[in-house]
Amino acid sequence: MSDIRHALLRRDPLSAAKEVLYHLDISLGSALQSSAGPPAGLEKSTVELVEEFIFHVSKDRNIQSKRMSCVQELQLLEIICSYFQEQSKDAIRQVIFSALFSLQGNKADESRMAMLGKLVSMSIAVCRVPILECAAIWLQRTHSAWCVRLAQVLMEDYCTLVPCAISTLQNICSASPRFCCQLITAVTALYDFSTDELTPPPALLEMLVGWITEDPRLLLLTFINSPLNSSLPLGCLEITPLLGLLRWCVKAPLAYHRGRKSAMTNGHGDGEKGTAYEELYSKLHLSVLQVFLMLQVHLTEKNMFCRLTVLPVESVAALIEEVGRLCEKLAPLLDASHIQLALDRLAQALQVAMATGALLCAREDLRALCSRLPHNNLLQLVMSGPVVQPPPHSSPFQPNMYPHIHPGRPSPLSPHSPHQSTLSSPHSPHTVLTAHPTHPALAPHRPLTAHATHPALSPHAFHPASIAFPYRPIR
Amino acid sequence: MSGMFEGNALPGIQTHSHTPNNYSPQELSLEIKAFISGVDQTQGRKLSVRDHARCAIRLLRTVPACREAVLEHLRGVYDEYVASFLQDLEAEGENGGNSASGGASVSISNLEDVIKEVHAVLSEFIKLSPKAWAPLVSSWAVDLLGQLSSKHAGRRAAPHSSSLNELLQLWMSCAATRSLMECYSQCLAAMLAWCPDACVDALLDTSVQHSPHFDWVVAHIGSAFPGTIISRVLACGLKDFYAHGYSSAEKISQQQAIDKSSRVPKIGSVVGILGHLASRHSDSIKKELLRMFQDSLSVPPQNVPQLTSGAGGWENSPHLRRATVPFLLQLAALSPTLLGAVSTELVEFLRPPVLIQLQAQFQALPREELENMLGLAVHLISQSPSGGARVLKFLADTATPSSVIISGPTPSPHDGIREACDRLLQMLLLHLHKLVHNRPDGDEPFPQSSTSPAMPQVIPFLEELQAHIADLCAETLRLERKRHLWLHQLLCLLSVYGGPSIATEALCQLFTQARNPEELALASQLYTQLSTSLSGLLPSTVARCVAQIHTQTLDIKELAQLLNNLATAVQSQEEDGKNGGGTTTTTGSLTQSSMASEVRVAVSSNLQDFCPLLLHGDSGVSKAAVRLLSCSQIPRACSPAHLLRICRAAVSHFFVCLRQQGKSPQAGQEEVGYSRRLLSRLAAYSSLSQKAVLQQLVEGALHKGNQDLFGGLQENPSDDTTQAQNLVPDLGISLLDVNRKFGTSVNFSGNVWSVFHAGIIGKGLKPPYTPLHPDPDRVSQNMQTLLAVMVQCCSSSGGNPTGSAGSTCSEPNVSDKLPPINAEAAKVIAVTLVENICPDVANGELSWPPEEHSKTTVERDIHIRRCFEKNPVLFYLLHVVAAGRPALCYCSVILRALLSTLLAHWESSREPSVSDSPWHLQTSCWLVSCMGEGQLLPPVLSNINEVFPHLSPFEVRLLLLGVWEYMRGNSPMPQKFTFCADQGLFFRDFSRDGDVARYIAPIHSVLHKNIDRLGHLCWRFQV
Repeated sequence: MSDIRHALLRRDPLSAAKEVLYHLDISLGSALQSSAGPPAGLEKSTVELVEEFIFHVSKDRNIQSKRMSCVQELQLLEIICSYFQEQSKDAIRQVIFSALFSLQGNKADESRMAMLGKLVSMSIAVCRVPILECAAIWLQRTHSAWCVRLAQVLMEDYCTLVPCAISTLQNICSASPRFCCQLITAVTALYDFSTDELTPPPALLEMLVGWITEDPRLLLLTFINSPLNSSLPLGCLEITPLLGLLRWCVKAPLAYHRGRKSAMTNGHGDGEKGTAYEELYSKLHLSVLQVFLMLQVHLTEKNMFCRLTVLPVESVAALIEEVGRLCEKLAPLLDASHIQLALDRLAQALQVAMATGALLCAREDLRALCSRLPHNNLLQLVMSGPVVQPPPHSSPFQPNMYPHIHPGRPSPLSPHSPHQSTLSSPHSPHTVLTAHPTHPALAPHRPLTAHATHPALSPHAFHPASIAFPYRPIR
Repeated sequence: MSGMFEGNALPGIQTHSHTPNNYSPQELSLEIKAFISGVDQTQGRKLSVRDHARCAIRLLRTVPACREAVLEHLRGVYDEYVASFLQDLEAEGENGGNSASGGASVSISNLEDVIKEVHAVLSEFIKLSPKAWAPLVSSWAVDLLGQLSSKHAGRRAAPHSSSLNELLQLWMSCAATRSLMECYSQCLAAMLAWCPDACVDALLDTSVQHSPHFDWVVAHIGSAFPGTIISRVLACGLKDFYAHGYSSAEKISQQQAIDKSSRVPKIGSVVGILGHLASRHSDSIKKELLRMFQDSLSVPPQNVPQLTSGAGGWENSPHLRRATVPFLLQLAALSPTLLGAVSTELVEFLRPPVLIQLQAQFQALPREELENMLGLAVHLISQSPSGGARVLKFLADTATPSSVIISGPTPSPHDGIREACDRLLQMLLLHLHKLVHNRPDGDEPFPQSSTSPAMPQVIPFLEELQAHIADLCAETLRLERKRHLWLHQLLCLLSVYGGPSIATEALCQLFTQARNPEELALASQLYTQLSTSLSGLLPSTVARCVAQIHTQTLDIKELAQLLNNLATAVQSQEEDGKNGGGTTTTTGSLTQSSMASEVRVAVSSNLQDFCPLLLHGDSGVSKAAVRLLSCSQIPRACSPAHLLRICRAAVSHFFVCLRQQGKSPQAGQEEVGYSRRLLSRLAAYSSLSQKAVLQQLVEGALHKGNQDLFGGLQENPSDDTTQAQNLVPDLGISLLDVNRKFGTSVNFSGNVWSVFHAGIIGKGLKPPYTPLHPDPDRVSQNMQTLLAVMVQCCSSSGGNPTGSAGSTCSEPNVSDKLPPINAEAAKVIAVTLVENICPDVANGELSWPPEEHSKTTVERDIHIRRCFEKNPVLFYLLHVVAAGRPALCYCSVILRALLSTLLAHWESSREPSVSDSPWHLQTSCWLVSCMGEGQLLPPVLSNINEVFPHLSPFEVRLLLLGVWEYMRGNSPMPQKFTFCADQGLFFRDFSRDGDVARYIAPIHSVLHKNIDRLGHLCWRFQV
């Protein structure tokens, strides 16, 4: 290694970087072939070579490191892209990507992150799938803080810097779904609605809605491909973007006051923009609920229903607490309708998540968590739960109940989908109706009878059949 | 339903299809390879500069990760364009070939398109996403501008960096640099909202690195964003000033070399930038500097969240606030422009609360730093081009003790401030003293430039104070504790620095504004200190005073004050002269005497300029003027014109004084004294002036406006009309007016009957006119004063001035006590009287015709008599003439007129006694006595006036007829008089005239007839 270092010191920065890449390819490739099992950790000397000649972190105080110009750096990025494109073995690609960009906890990490951001950004533009796949794995294994930083770089490049560049980013969904799934998770961690800068850009929101609407399974990709018993490292991103997206949908109405002020200032145009945003969030919410239903099918197939945690209770509790704090803080500023909308979405999500087994939480615990939230009718229904049956009947009721519901669940959604779309367009508050099909299965209440009294709505005519079916064993 | 959903999605797809980002990933990959290698990937040929740039632009639009590389590449494109641009200019300058010029033009045109495209793309990006692009593009543009400015500074087409306007014109005519400038301006405008510091910091760093070639950029940006650039430049400069070791002395001592090398460029850049902006935005700079000063002393705002942009960050930093004042002082030291901008209004902010805060801030400073700061402040005050007067006033006001009462054992903050200002003022005076006398000291904290002693240094502080001499003198004359000492010292320095003109102005102001002898002493002190180094001060000062009088810039009070002060200055010499004979004078007295003599000479040189003030409308001014002139001597070389003008003014003033004396006896008497003294001096100067003074005195006494002063009667309208008719030939009255007045009546002017206007037919006699009689005492006093003046003037002879004339009042009838009157002077009075009283010159010879012949001149005789009736002063004047023998000879026509009218009166009188005609009796006695005094009659004949009261009218007529016969037989001729040297008078020997016995025969007859009542007077008439 000393010989290699001395030789590299005499060369120009770009040539030295190329040699380091070549060296990695030779040494790591050989190591993989020689060993039958998983490769051992990288040698320290290799890491030092990478840091000194690719990320230009000086190892010797007396020698000032040579820096590449921006054009040379672009050349290096292009070389890396070409290498990963030409390398046919996925294992080697993963090892080399890890050698280059695994964070070491030293001062070279800043340079690492800068170059990683440029590499991924460039790969998105030129659609380098191998790099995107490696980046997806990197996002899965790295601490969320660094993931957020990468997401920030990409969002700045494609949502802020270059107009209409979002279309380039949109196209990679078909090329690298795994990267997109991880990117959504990172993006939801980045934008938390705390400030105007940390509110999802409209272009991004539109793109995500398009992705998820086109292929809802995108959100479950990482979850499905992960080993079943693997535990997430501490501090990493969540296994699915579902919780992040749910947070967006619930918080969006509470952040509306800023947009409303802007609308007042700028006139009618921004008002229309606000309406468009509401529609997008409504679509996003619907997609999330649909994904929960798909998740149930998947869990059932794997025989992991009610056993595997998809939405951690702690995370949900944190979200509920945050929503409570926001509602309390913003009550003087917002109309009650916005708060009710946020709570409706929260109630719907909780109901569907618990019904589909994504959220494992007892109703008593849920009532405790939601005790400080403002009053909301739907939330009250969700928290009250089904009527308590006599003990002798509880055990036979439950197994019988669930198997009966599952086969019939998808079919009612199909005819309701266009109806919901139609209703959602003009009046966003009407998204409450999207939750109605779930009520018969879990909450047999008199209000359902009241709904039957509206004969004018043809979709409601379908309800008696559904209502009659699940209640038959009880009666 | 699904169809409807698809319909909703369709517009989005269509929208995307229209966007320019329709490159496939493969195409973008090829673009990147082409950009990196410079070779077209499909055709394999090398890209031209233009195509390569266009490739870069496409990547800029599509691949965000390439933006830094693209901007780096575009640097070369801009550089190439600038090189071609300058080469083209140089080719045109050298009248190069057409082909070369054409080639360059083509090249520039190609790259210009590219540059315009780059500019359009960047401008669009900045507009759409300012927060993302503005920091990146602004730093890129500024750095590139700096590089281009420095790299091409040596080209022939590039003007020198000192000519900023030419440099700006060149670079703004180049499309590349203009594009960069516009990009930077756009970025700066966008970044003003959240973080202007970063933008301005980059500008400052580039300015430090590439100055002076980069100054045109700063000038242009500063003109576009003056407020922001000024405030941010100052804020950045302050941070840099603090960061470079201001905080502690130890740090300074340790890193002296490093600090000096790294500190100066930054603050120098700040000074340069603000200097460029000062030509058009001095007001903004002034406001920012003063606001900076105020904010550094005010309490930082509480509970204000810390701004991440740092726009107001320095206000919240205690260290930066403490460093603000030294920073501003340093700025002022390096930039006279900034010093001038601030010093004008800075004193307005120095209120007691602000001073207390300043003191609190500076208490924490080490003594050495405080001394350095004070020295720097003193240096800045002396170098401030404007506002120095206000600074001086502020320092003097603050440093002056307000009360002698000790406030207590613990000094109050005000005392500390006062002491600081006192010390500052002392240091300033010492500093100015060194500067003025051009004696640089080794301890001087700011050594002066190495100018030769022959060329005095320019001191802006003193330059400005030269325009405030009047104010400085006014403040000095207030004689406040310590204050007048400081200001007096400053006046000395200012006079030495400014030269004779300033010294003259200062002395002139002191003479003008001093209100009492104590204040006037300051002028003496100033003259004492200046006379050693400046010569000819007082003549210039008096000339300056005269100029001031001519321009009428002084009000009445000031004018009188000036004249009085000059008079006081002159009088001090006379007093010393009187006392100097017997006693030893002190040094101060000698100096004052020296100044007094010079002032006296100077005033004499400008006498003709002061004399119009004798007739000033304000009594205070005229009194002061007469006082000054009475103390001065008339110059030897005075021209006749000036002399006559002075005489006329002095005589006019004399009559004004007499009138004033009637109103306020005390003050008027003093003024009359001055006036008499002045007239005496004038009469003693030369025969010409004596003649002029006497003539004007006579004319003035007879003037209508002054008749009432001497008991004259107000004229009767009827008499006025008659007189007007009689005086037609002399006064030039219009004949048309006369004809209109009398209608068809014919004017028989000259006819003997027109004189006797006794009344109107049918209405009886004309009612008697009762004139207003003035105060007898006042008339008597004025008469005495007039006679005294005339006697004084007649007693002096030309070329023989007397030291001081006596002011004793003498009785006109007591001829023995009168001082000898010059015969020539008396002649002047006689001639003047004849000219003013006698309406025509016919029959004006000295010889007397027979008494019957007087019928031909009866009208004139009556006119003359009326003059005597209206002007009693004439009797006294004739008496003076009689005393100056033989001058009375020239008044023969007047004497004949009076005698003729008296003879006619007594002949026609039907009264039993002469006492029934008191005026005629008195006039007869006076006339004979006067003729006797003038030695026109022998004593035996002149004594007959003693018997007139005891005779009858007919008898008086007989005696007067005898007088006429004697005068006819012995005509009054000056040749008959002989000068007696021992007495200084002329005498007439009557023995040579022959026997007078036949002329006294009627006297004896009358005596014999009245022997019972006149026997005791017979001895008076013995031959």
